[in-house]
Amino acid sequence: MSKRAPYHFFEADPKKVLAELGKDGALEFLKKMLLIRNFEIRGEQAYQQGKVGGFYHSYMGQEAIQAGCIAAVGADHWFTTTYRCHALALLLGVTPNEAMAELYGRSTGNAMGRGGSMHLYADRLLGGLAIVGGHVPIATGAAFTIKYTKNKEMASFCFLGDGAVVQGAVHESLNLAALWNLPCIYVIENNQWGMGTAVSRAVCIEPIAENMAKAYGIKSYTVDGSNFFNCYALFDQVLNEVLQTGRPVLIEAITERFRGHSISDPGLYRSKDELASTMEHKDPITLFKNALIAQKILTEEQFKELDKEQREIVIAAMKFADESPWPDQMTLEQGVFAPEDK
Amino acid sequence: MGTQIIEIREALRQAIDEEMTRDSRVFILGEEVAEYNGAYKVTKGLLAKWGPERVIDTPICENGFAGLAIGAAQTGLRPIVEFMSWNFSFVAADQLISNACKAHYMSGGRFDVPIVFRGPNGAAAQVSCQHSHCVEAIYGNLPGFIVIAPGNAYDAKGLLKSAIRSNNPVIFLENELTYGEKMEIPTEEYLVPIGKAKVIREGKHVTLISYSRMLHFCREAADELAKKGISVEIIDLRTIKPLDIATVASSVRKTHRCVLVEEGHIFAGISAELGFQIMEHCFDDLDAPLVRVCQRETPMPYSKPLEKETLPNTQRILNALQEVLA
Repeated sequence: MSKRAPYHFFEADPKKVLAELGKDGALEFLKKMLLIRNFEIRGEQAYQQGKVGGFYHSYMGQEAIQAGCIAAVGADHWFTTTYRCHALALLLGVTPNEAMAELYGRSTGNAMGRGGSMHLYADRLLGGLAIVGGHVPIATGAAFTIKYTKNKEMASFCFLGDGAVVQGAVHESLNLAALWNLPCIYVIENNQWGMGTAVSRAVCIEPIAENMAKAYGIKSYTVDGSNFFNCYALFDQVLNEVLQTGRPVLIEAITERFRGHSISDPGLYRSKDELASTMEHKDPITLFKNALIAQKILTEEQFKELDKEQREIVIAAMKFADESPWPDQMTLEQGVFAPEDK
Repeated sequence: MGTQIIEIREALRQAIDEEMTRDSRVFILGEEVAEYNGAYKVTKGLLAKWGPERVIDTPICENGFAGLAIGAAQTGLRPIVEFMSWNFSFVAADQLISNACKAHYMSGGRFDVPIVFRGPNGAAAQVSCQHSHCVEAIYGNLPGFIVIAPGNAYDAKGLLKSAIRSNNPVIFLENELTYGEKMEIPTEEYLVPIGKAKVIREGKHVTLISYSRMLHFCREAADELAKKGISVEIIDLRTIKPLDIATVASSVRKTHRCVLVEEGHIFAGISAELGFQIMEHCFDDLDAPLVRVCQRETPMPYSKPLEKETLPNTQRILNALQEVLA
């Protein structure tokens, strides 16, 4: 198809990133990626056991994108993401206990058991929002506040899926952000599938960001979402650019989710061999680990130890969630409205 | 105390201006609110006074700018969103319904959404069905929204000021046909509390309940009956949600008869809810079944006689009053 054009990938020098992050910084974010991975694996198990209800959208396979982002920019910005929100919440300081308790629907949950798997929050995480594309104007509004209050230190980060880019809300947001010079960084995590529909059957252009950004007169980047170093370096660079220019930027991170759209999706629409190959060759954690081993920052044994440590944290979180009280039914109708006397 | 005789649009403008003076986080955005001075001139002069950072013309993208304003509200600002017509809010329905009224509860109380959505609601003059819908029953169905529909300049100003100060999302319903209606109101600052209905005419034989523009027809009908010695008590709801059922119930307990008038459609409308609550609170006090006068079940027709016929009017209200008094 003539509409498919080659991607231009952003590349970084891993050694430079490592020099900037330091050994401890690199290991810290490897640990966070392992926390996310273990959280998703165990969370799915809890779902299978009937402990978790609703939908379950796993971030497995996409960890390097948001981990690279937070490693580079820190947590002191506004963030908004989709229903695939466990990873960003954990990266922004939500404890595994409160995240898991939210999935279990308990009173100790991150949103008091009112949001569930698709709606996690942090002080600067506006959600966990579950209408495809509907969260993008919200993130744009956070960027508006940053500009309105003349804050020169912050940006608004908006993660969205490839399925969302055809929503009107996304295009209206890009137009407003470009028109009004809002410091918003839109990150399309192209995981190849909008539920069971391949991206090529839903989006009329490829690359997405590189093409779309032109229409709005803004900068764009494409990055390999399985490569932590490239993600880190890109977010570091883009934040600096946005703080300087006050202009929005559109990023496309190429990735592939390892699981179905949600837990109830057996993934019959994609080839098992291709998925196995992706999981073998494009696992962001394996790639990060191998790079750190090559740099002699890590050994295979140490990696196993880190993985075990994170697994135990998640298992403890499951125990915490399981033992946490259900929300008191007396609280059901509380908090529909914010208090007026504050 | 000084007074001034002003139109509803000026009362609204004063409310916005005073609240922008009081709180630098308050700003207004919408289509044509700034350089054009507002499609209905509610925002006249505000751009000149406050500048383009706080009086903001938007492109025609209700979903985008309503959502942007909700995001701004969640992150510390207090936006006023003008819909040129509430009918255009349907383009932004996802933002209002999935975000504005749910964010506080869904986030376990972490985020507030202090925002006012305002603009003309319901029928104007012959603008057909895509510009004439009453939205209060739609948004009133969603927990988390406050719904306000003032019927005069005094309430319009005092309630809009309270709405802007509220920490919750407010649906503020004005009316294109009444923007020019004048009233003598104080020059000093005042607030009208949210959630309080008002008995605007005392009576003893029957209670007539409505809000916004339909109150005119209610007054006309009450005047007619007064000539025959029948005294009608009229209640202006002012706030639709939360509903001031206490004021309604004490009137119905006094008159034992009640007619409900609503510009919007009859099926699952505000009157349906209000009538049910009256049944719950006043069942033993009623001497006659409740009667509703609402918009008939048609999309709004363009032609003048048809438009007049589908809306509540004085004659239909008189018929209803006579029915419950029979």
